[in-house]
Amino acid sequence: MNGYGFRHAARMERIKLRSVRSTWWLAVAAVVVMAAAGAGVGLGYRSHTPVATAAQILNNSLGGAIVAQLLLGALGVLVVTGEYGTGMIRSTFAAVPRRRTVLAAKVAVCGGAALTVGLVASFAGYLSGQLAIRGTAIPAASLGDPAILRAVVLTGVYLGATALIGVGIGAIVRHSGAAIGTLFALMFVPMIVAGLFGESGIQIGRFVPLLMLLNSIAVTSPLPGLFASWISALLMCGYAAVAILCGGVLLRYRDA
Amino acid sequence: MVSGFRPLTALPSVDHVIELRELTKRYGDRVAVDGLSVRVQAGVVTGFLGPNGSGKSTTMRMILGLDAPDHGEALIGGVRYRDLDWPLKTVGALLDAGAFHPGRSARAHLTALAASNDIPGSRVEQVLRVVGLSDAATRRAGTYSLGMRQRLGVAVALLGDPGVLLLDEPVNGLDPEGIRWIRDLLRGLAAEGRTVFVSSHLIAEMALTADRLVVIGRGRLLAETTVAELAAGGDSLEDAFFRLTAQDTDYRGVGAS
Repeated sequence: MNGYGFRHAARMERIKLRSVRSTWWLAVAAVVVMAAAGAGVGLGYRSHTPVATAAQILNNSLGGAIVAQLLLGALGVLVVTGEYGTGMIRSTFAAVPRRRTVLAAKVAVCGGAALTVGLVASFAGYLSGQLAIRGTAIPAASLGDPAILRAVVLTGVYLGATALIGVGIGAIVRHSGAAIGTLFALMFVPMIVAGLFGESGIQIGRFVPLLMLLNSIAVTSPLPGLFASWISALLMCGYAAVAILCGGVLLRYRDA
Repeated sequence: MVSGFRPLTALPSVDHVIELRELTKRYGDRVAVDGLSVRVQAGVVTGFLGPNGSGKSTTMRMILGLDAPDHGEALIGGVRYRDLDWPLKTVGALLDAGAFHPGRSARAHLTALAASNDIPGSRVEQVLRVVGLSDAATRRAGTYSLGMRQRLGVAVALLGDPGVLLLDEPVNGLDPEGIRWIRDLLRGLAAEGRTVFVSSHLIAEMALTADRLVVIGRGRLLAETTVAELAAGGDSLEDAFFRLTAQDTDYRGVGAS
C-alpha cells in the first residue's frame, strides 16, 4: 500500500465515465447508427440487379462507421475536455497529481469502452445488413469466412482507435468545441485533399483515416494501392499513440 | 470532535505544516505571487487574507501542484504535493464551487475521487451526511444551488480525513446558517490538531473564524500576525486591514462625493 497507482486512477476513471449521460447517449447512438445504416443498405440491395455480392453488402452495411467514428471520437474528446470545461480537472489532478497516470487511466478506460462499443456497433451493422437481405438471392456473408470476420472486427478496432485519437486531441486542445472541430477536420479534410490529386492521390490516401476505413478496413479485400486492412488498423492505433503522447507532454507542463 | 473524524493527536503535527518558500508565479509581465514565504501551523485556523486579485487562489493552486511556480516551492510536511503517496488522505482542498462535472451526481463525484485514493465507500456516505447532502446525493450536481455546491466541495475536502485542509473562499454563496456551520467545522477540525488554511477577502468573517492571519497584497506578504495583534492597534480590524493593504489594492473606487 505504498501510494496510489494506475489501478486507482483507472477505477476513478471508470466511475467517472459511467456516471455521465453523454457516455451512454454516444455509445447507444453509435450502435443505432451502424445498425440503421446496415439495415438501410440491405433493404436497398433487395431490388438490386444484377444481384449484389456478399462483399458489396458487407462493405456498405458497415458504412455507418462514418458517423459512428465521429460519435466515439467525440466520446474520447469529452473524457478530457469535459473535465477542463467544468473545472473537474482540478479535482482530478488534486486527487491524482501524477498527470500522466491520469491520462494513461483515461486511455485504458475510454479505449476499452470504445473498443467494446465499436465491436458491438460493427457487428450490429453487419447483422442488420444480413437480416435485411434474408430471403433474397443475395449471398449471405458468413462470419465463418475469415475475410468477413476480419472486416467486422477491424472496423470495431478502427472505432476504438478513433476514440483514443479523440482523447489525445482533447488533452492537446482542452476545449470541447475546438477539440471536436479539430477531430472532425482531421477525419474529413485529408480525404478531400487526397481527392484533389486524382490518381496519384492514393499515395496519400492510404494514410487517410476515412479512406482506410472505407477501402481497406471495412472490406473483404482492400482497394489496390491501399494497405492491408490490419496495417491500416495499426496505423490508426499509431495516430492515436502520437496524439496521446503529444497530449501527455503538454499535460505535464501546463497549469491546470 | 467533528462528526466522528478520527482524532489526530497520535500524529506529530510537523507532518501537517504547510511551508511556502519564496513562492513566485508570473503571468506574462504580471507577478501574481511574489516571493511568498510563510509557515502555516497545525492546530489553529489560519486565515489567508487579501484584496481581490492579490494572489490567494494562485497560491492555493501552487500548493496543490495545479499551477507550477516560476520560483520557490510549496511543501506539506516537507513534501511537495505531487510526491504525496495518498494526496486526498493528506490534504483536503476546496478550490472553487465548480470543480465537478455538472452532469454527475454528488455521490458519483465523491465515489470516483474516493476510488483514486483507496478510500472506502462508507466514507462517501459519511461525508455526505456531514455536509448535509445525503438526500440530494443522487441529483446531478449541476442542479445544485451555490450553497449546495460549496457543501459538495467541503465534502470532497473532508473525504480522505486529511490532516491539512485548504479552503479557498469557503463561505462564498453560503447563507448565515451555512457560514456559521463552516466556521464551527473549521474550528473543530483545527482543535483536533489539523492544519486549516482558509482564504477570504472578508476580514469580518476571518476575525470570527481564524486565530492566525497571513495577509497578502499584490502577491507579497504584508503581515503574518494574529487576529488579536491586528486588532490591538486601537482602530477596528477592518481599518487595520485597509491600512495594511492600502498600497496593494489593484482596483479601488473613490467616494461618490
